[in-house]
Amino acid sequence: MLEHILSILIFFPALAGALGFIVNKNSMRAYGVTVGAIEFALSLWLWFSYDSGVSGMQFMESVSIIPAFGITYLLGIDGISLFIIIMASFFTMIGIASLSPTKNEKNLIITLLFLQMTMIGVFAALDAIIFYVFWELSLVPMLYIIGAWGGPKRIYASVKFFLYTFTGSLVMLVGMLFMAYFYHQATGQWSFSILEWYRLILPETYQLWLFVAFFFGFAIKVPMFPFHTWLPYAHGQAPTIGSVILAAVLLKMGTYAFIRFSLPLFPDASVFFMIPIAVISIIMIIYTAMVAYAQEDIKQVVAYSSVSHMGVIVLGTFALNVEGITGSVFLMIAHGIVSGALFLLVGVIYDRRHTKLMSEFGGLAKVMPNYAIIFGMMMMASVGMPLTINFVGEFLSLLGFYQQSHMLTLLAGTAIIVGAIYMLAAYKKAFFGEITNEANRNLPDVNKRELGALIPLVIIMVWLGVYPKPVLEPINNSVESIVQLMHDKAITPAAKAAIPDVSKPKPVIQRAPAHAAAKHTSAHEGGH
Amino acid sequence: MLSPVNVSLESLNLVTLAPMLIAVVGALSILVIDFFKSNLDKTLYVMVSLLFLLLDLGAVIDSAGFFMENGTMLGFFDVMLIDGLAILSQIIIVGASMLFIPLALTSKRFHEFSYPEFFALFLFMIAGFQFMVASDSLILIFIGLETASLALYTLIALHNRSKSFEAAVKYFTMGALAAGFYAMGSMIFYAITGSVEINQIAAVLQADNYSNIGYVLIAVVFMLASFGFKLSLVPFHTWTPDVYEGSSAALAGYMSIVPKIAGFIVVMRLFEFLIHSGVIWLEVVLYASVVITMTAANIWALVQSDVKRMLAYSSISHAGFVMAAILIGTTQSNSALFLYWIVFAFTNLGAFTMLWVSRAKNLPAGQSSDHSFEKFSGMIHTAPMTATVMGLFMLSLAGLPPFGVFWGKIYMIGSAVSAGYTVLALIMALNSAIAGYYYIKLIVYMFMKDPVNPGDYMINASNSLKTIIGVAVIFTIFSIVAINPLLEVITAFVYNSGY
Repeated sequence: MLEHILSILIFFPALAGALGFIVNKNSMRAYGVTVGAIEFALSLWLWFSYDSGVSGMQFMESVSIIPAFGITYLLGIDGISLFIIIMASFFTMIGIASLSPTKNEKNLIITLLFLQMTMIGVFAALDAIIFYVFWELSLVPMLYIIGAWGGPKRIYASVKFFLYTFTGSLVMLVGMLFMAYFYHQATGQWSFSILEWYRLILPETYQLWLFVAFFFGFAIKVPMFPFHTWLPYAHGQAPTIGSVILAAVLLKMGTYAFIRFSLPLFPDASVFFMIPIAVISIIMIIYTAMVAYAQEDIKQVVAYSSVSHMGVIVLGTFALNVEGITGSVFLMIAHGIVSGALFLLVGVIYDRRHTKLMSEFGGLAKVMPNYAIIFGMMMMASVGMPLTINFVGEFLSLLGFYQQSHMLTLLAGTAIIVGAIYMLAAYKKAFFGEITNEANRNLPDVNKRELGALIPLVIIMVWLGVYPKPVLEPINNSVESIVQLMHDKAITPAAKAAIPDVSKPKPVIQRAPAHAAAKHTSAHEGGH
Repeated sequence: MLSPVNVSLESLNLVTLAPMLIAVVGALSILVIDFFKSNLDKTLYVMVSLLFLLLDLGAVIDSAGFFMENGTMLGFFDVMLIDGLAILSQIIIVGASMLFIPLALTSKRFHEFSYPEFFALFLFMIAGFQFMVASDSLILIFIGLETASLALYTLIALHNRSKSFEAAVKYFTMGALAAGFYAMGSMIFYAITGSVEINQIAAVLQADNYSNIGYVLIAVVFMLASFGFKLSLVPFHTWTPDVYEGSSAALAGYMSIVPKIAGFIVVMRLFEFLIHSGVIWLEVVLYASVVITMTAANIWALVQSDVKRMLAYSSISHAGFVMAAILIGTTQSNSALFLYWIVFAFTNLGAFTMLWVSRAKNLPAGQSSDHSFEKFSGMIHTAPMTATVMGLFMLSLAGLPPFGVFWGKIYMIGSAVSAGYTVLALIMALNSAIAGYYYIKLIVYMFMKDPVNPGDYMINASNSLKTIIGVAVIFTIFSIVAINPLLEVITAFVYNSGY
């Protein structure tokens, strides 16, 4: 069973979803939670059986589907995808468990289960077309979730979300077809296997063009400035569960794909575009932080802060060294946990008041103390306080990029600190002060169902903030092999220099002896 | 050169004619049955037609076996040409016809199906299309084209709506113009080369190195205009939405598949040498027509308020997309054309059938269109299964993986990439994105709006219609397993035919 565990993880939720049509709608939530729990248990078993000492792909499955065009059902995971898969199954489970009563609950749960199939499929696929299949398929359930259960402007938001991502991914598809064509030219065989593509060394000009084609698909998904405009709409209109899944998992597809495709396939192009992308990321961090500060709606604050943190992830990824990429992968998990939790928390207050405007709140800490505590902890994590999960990721990302550019890192670091302002301001507006609105006076505190979803998130947030090693180690091993691959594949001298050689031990920087040696030489020369 | 005609029966190679003859015999026997006993039920005619189509398909597959062993066959004074293209396209024509004909068994009574002439004309039409694709001679192609078209005009007119007559007359007028263009084009080719056989024309033109380039270009313009009408390429497309709107949804779906594949084959035969002649002007004209057809039709489709008209424009756009294969002109692209058309046939016939099952006998009061978007509002609440199936077809048409049309799309774009048409590949991809919008529009109506008329959508459904929809659904979802065998067969056939 273990050799097919990835297929089981992918198709079990879909099968369960299809069978869910038969389940009575009053029992649907219990069914959904059960399926989610089984899936989560399976993903934990995956982690348990995962050999963290190995850096390459594990649990690989390969079935040739269209040999005439080189398309193979190829699955496998490494440390980079492992934790995102676990996170995806975790969030689907608690997402269903914490679902507040809504119309057509049955349809929503079935849709979520199909969405789970596509999410796990994206992170487990090692064939570009299979990846693309799941990548595109994930749009449909999300379209439906936003469009059917969203706010007043839900249709505009859902169609915008769909078309934006669909357009970007079609450009990416052309890039993939070019990649397959170049592989065909080089070897005489069609192949869409990423592992096969890794062996291909492309001339720099090709790399640049293909990098741009893939970039469109990934950057819209992340979303990177200036392609981010769909996200606030999507978050603003989506129901709580939609926002949670979108922020926690779907956005990670973009950043994950950068690491899986762009970096190892196009190392020279990655170095070429490193600074422009870093600049975009910093604009993303600063600009969205400023926009977040101006928001009236607490959900928009969380949405923009989520975009802002995605900027740090991209920055860490394009550090192109082990620290930066490890940090960005870790930050993906952290961001998933923290922003997922924040969206859940916003959902809690929305269920009670049916408004998200901060001006409607104020003094909530008095009536909902537990809620205020959890919100406060998550907010601290979001601003990157030490000993929380975000800090580890942000620190490593910035540490990685520091080796590429001191100035830009300094800018990004300051921006993150400044970013704390809007979160604290929002928290102050909503939670402190006198209760100004009578409607808030008798709000019930978080109930058991909500606590059931939030407490595990708080535990993970603190646990991985204090002791991140069990997660960091497998990520680090896999990232090392990717960085090594990039270094070996790089053809331009600039790229060779920018991407460290992992196999060699790092030179220990000792300034003083070097200085002394120079003196010694000159003295030696003087002596002659 | 004239000598007494003295041919043996064997040299006629009558087996090449067998498939078309079966269709013709089928048509005649339906007329004969009607002669002896009239007022028979339509179920009889449907089943008889289905049986003859089955025989027809058998004969085509039989000749496929011959082709695999012996290569291209010539027959009947060498005007018949049974190569891989002819066989593949005949399989598509007959197969799509077999999916279409059970759609006559609706639960509501539509009077055209009670006439045996409908089925006789239908079989004559199929024979016409089969002649059209299985010949190298411009004259036989013309005969096939006209037989099929005249029968088709009548089939449209038989649908008893005021718009049907308008549609038939419009189609007839445009078709007559196209026929005229075709005759002019063929005449010029004959005048400069002394032959009506496409391979002879190619050989002669190549031998004198296109010295009559001016005349060739005029002939090509005529031909392109003629097939522009038949394939509804922009700007010769104006009849398409009206004709689709006027005919029954089932026939409209049929028209978006079968006449077009026949047209594609002729264009492929004709342009195969013209594209490779190195005359830049030809390539530019074809390039422009492909891009304009794809893009303009997509943009028109965005603003339609009737689902059937939207699907009409979308099928124009798909035709433009597939025309790119002829522009690219490699074995891969020509194979992609067939693959695309097979997967498209299932999905598009399925989508039109979904309209057909929801068709009321009379127009709803105060409305001018049968299938307005509003009609589908909130279908997920009133008819979840129907809405899901319709949504599936829309997603497939939009090119969402892993559904049918996606595989056609990537193979087509892949062939553009391999042939170095980078910009074309990007245009094709972006057009798929534009198309996404109007397919999603229907999904938005079905899944996200509140129901306005809690009516029964499947009013016209019967078991046979449901079966056809079931076949289309299964093929659309599980096409991923069918692609490899299809691709291998298609590539072998296309490659061995020298395209």
